[in-house]
Amino acid sequence: MERSDVRSLYLLAAFLACAYALPFVVGVGAGTARGDAAWLSYLAAVVLGGLMQGGVYAMFAVGLTLIFGVMRIINAAHGEMVMMGAYLTWVAFFYLGVDPLLALAFTLPLAFLFGMALQRVLLDAVVGQPELTSLLVTFGLGLVMIYSAELIFTTDFRTIPYAPGTVQLTSTIAIGQNRVISFAMAVVITLGVFLFLKRSRLGKAVRATALNAEVAMVCGIDVRRIYLITTGLATALAVAGGALVSIQFGFNPETGVLYTLQAFAIIILGGRGHYVGALIGGLMLAVLENLVSLMVPNGTAMVELAAYGLMIFVLLIRPGGLMGVKEG
Amino acid sequence: MARREHIRNLVLLGLVVLGLALLPYGLSVYLRSFVLFTMMYVVLALSWNIISGFTGYTSFGHVAFYGIGAYACAILVADYRWHWLASLGVGAVVAAVVAVMIGYPVLRLKGPYFAIAMLGAAEGTRVIATVWDGLTHGGLGISLPSAETSMPTYYAMLACMLLTAVVCYVVGHSRFGIRLNAIREDEGAAEALGIDATRYKLAAFTLSAVFPAVAGGIQAYKVLYIDPPSVFFVQITIAMALMSMLGGKGTVAGPILGAVVLYTAQELTWVNFPSAHLIAYGLFIIVVARFMPRGLIGFAIDRGWVRKGMVH
Amino acid sequence: MTSETPGAIALDVRDLRKAFGGVRAVDGCSFAVPRGKISGLIGPNGSGKTTTFNLLTGVVTPDAGQVLYLGDDIAGLKPFQVFHRGITRTFQITRVFREMTVFENMLSVTALAVPDRAARARAEELLALVNLTHLRTEYGGRLSYGQQKLLEFARALMTDPDLILLDEPAAGVNRTLLQHLLDHIHRLQERGKTILIVEHDMNVIMNHCERIFVMDYGVKIAEGPPAEIRHDERVIDAYFGRRRQR
Repeated sequence: MERSDVRSLYLLAAFLACAYALPFVVGVGAGTARGDAAWLSYLAAVVLGGLMQGGVYAMFAVGLTLIFGVMRIINAAHGEMVMMGAYLTWVAFFYLGVDPLLALAFTLPLAFLFGMALQRVLLDAVVGQPELTSLLVTFGLGLVMIYSAELIFTTDFRTIPYAPGTVQLTSTIAIGQNRVISFAMAVVITLGVFLFLKRSRLGKAVRATALNAEVAMVCGIDVRRIYLITTGLATALAVAGGALVSIQFGFNPETGVLYTLQAFAIIILGGRGHYVGALIGGLMLAVLENLVSLMVPNGTAMVELAAYGLMIFVLLIRPGGLMGVKEG
Repeated sequence: MARREHIRNLVLLGLVVLGLALLPYGLSVYLRSFVLFTMMYVVLALSWNIISGFTGYTSFGHVAFYGIGAYACAILVADYRWHWLASLGVGAVVAAVVAVMIGYPVLRLKGPYFAIAMLGAAEGTRVIATVWDGLTHGGLGISLPSAETSMPTYYAMLACMLLTAVVCYVVGHSRFGIRLNAIREDEGAAEALGIDATRYKLAAFTLSAVFPAVAGGIQAYKVLYIDPPSVFFVQITIAMALMSMLGGKGTVAGPILGAVVLYTAQELTWVNFPSAHLIAYGLFIIVVARFMPRGLIGFAIDRGWVRKGMVH
Repeated sequence: MTSETPGAIALDVRDLRKAFGGVRAVDGCSFAVPRGKISGLIGPNGSGKTTTFNLLTGVVTPDAGQVLYLGDDIAGLKPFQVFHRGITRTFQITRVFREMTVFENMLSVTALAVPDRAARARAEELLALVNLTHLRTEYGGRLSYGQQKLLEFARALMTDPDLILLDEPAAGVNRTLLQHLLDHIHRLQERGKTILIVEHDMNVIMNHCERIFVMDYGVKIAEGPPAEIRHDERVIDAYFGRRRQR
């Protein structure tokens, strides 16, 4: 690592420390942060809940970073894929009576196929084009998905009542069952993807293509097939994310946009194309968001601001993100 | 030779403006506002094109400046009883200042990173407009005192479009514009050839922020009600990009052509297929971006109908 | 060592240093480029000559050392500032502006203070010099590689610079074109310009430069006219002797 690189890492660490301190400062000022034991255990629950939520964020952010890493395409429709996952789960739950987790068994293969079709029909032509082209194409795709969903499901907010109980961690700290289950699922799926990328021949080929598509091609890797698998996998991750989000939060066709921006923030924080970075980024973002919504007045809007602020500052301080080195 | 072309273009522009100036008397209220919004999109697409077409920095957050202009007008007219025309100037100045503040750090980023940062900046501006109750009335939005605004806003938008088009034409045919092109083509080489890229990019970015602010202000006075989601709407940025691309980004005629064609198409689908028009719009975006990245003008250049380059 | 008559020296490089991480790419390099002559900077791959070139043109900022151009220190200036001191450069692999016409490529380089008419006249004159007038409205990216090389060369001369730095002009160029370029370079020298060629290829340098600086391991190991360099033990050693083990 170069000296300036190390310096930028310190700068980022200092910035993050300030970002996490800020909600507390505001909270003390506004009286939403107190020092008593009840509040502290509430705070612990919020942080823990944030970490669990972060696991889910990280999972679908890994999908976005996969596509970006392998094809240099920013998928502006990633959040819409998450939204699609939520609706698939909703339909399975209410119309077919299938358990949301069991539903993954057929929604994930479906998502994989959808992703592959998308790659063939749209994205293959966009690889290597300027960013404007890929952004517009995927944004257009997102619009089609949003408004098709509105046509089918209307703009009403939907929720899935699943595992509504709580898990008592200590006598004072409790966390929603659905959160714990989602987190566990996210960990299992993310781990599976990591193992696939690290261990399997195909996964290694995906990583090689991400490093350098030309060299990969020369080494006999069928790059177009890798693209297919990448987008299939990324779509499956997004849909899985949607399933796990749908049992925790309400959603409507337009919630996807928020998830897209969150995923952007996460991969920028972690370093693009860096899978462990995405994991750390997801956890950090979700904890910050939970702290902000706990202590800062005007919570929901401020949560968004925290994500955008984090994203822009990380880009400026350290474009390569936490785990990446500075790009030339 | 070059001079004859300039004169021809000037005459053409004059005729169009004259036509548009006489037009509203013969039009229904609906058609008048249709023409007004078409002109607004011409302003937006032309402005976006300065930073993203000429200079090559794809801004995915240009709606921020439009929103700032709209808010400047609404706040000054509704809360401070300013004359709306005066508020347009304030909006332009505020947008320019914000553009320098955002642009100075963010223009160091390249390619997709700049695009994403701008997207974040625009969304951030929207959130600030939502939470800053004291100034912006927050999520409730602002209602302007009602007035007969159809005619005055029409002529204001016409003037704004004329100004934008003239500025873009002058920039496009100047060495300043060529240097912006050079930055787009190869920033490192441009710097090695004496171009202070940081300054030029900032100048282009600021210039491209001013006109959307004015257009936003006029629009606010036209519709008499604004709120954060409507004036910081991501799709307005997308429209700017798409219109420029459809016509041919990096040219002056391209964004104008693209704005007229796309806005008309949008209006027609909206009238005819109200429930599915946004789906159609999404498909249209995909088709344009996928199949004609160089736009209608690029198509014409390839066939030799239009001359290459801006400066001869 | 470089304090002869100051007027005779265009570029005085003193103890220049640059490290990337632990690698000292340029490690205390000093040399003086005589004014009004063609000089060459050579060295085997990895000797630090490209980094030196980047340090001279402002692409990379030095860790230490001075670069005096006609007595002023230009070390650490940005590329465009170096350019405005009257120093211009070409690139090893041509970097013409591809989506701009040949004529626009030329006009991009003029100072805005120069009147439009004068700038256009200058552009026409230089295009005529390199025989590209008939292609003036063609896109830069549509030219052949040789034509691009000529365009880049002509473009670099728009502001009538005093010092011209050429980054491996022989790379990827056929003999005819190379001869053509070298003729232009000699003509510039006759008009009093200073030229520094950074080259990997020894033969080009030997036949056209009056003074040669040889680099290896980030320092200058030899200096002198071609006849001397040709027989210098250290140079032969650097090029053909022990191979580096890094």
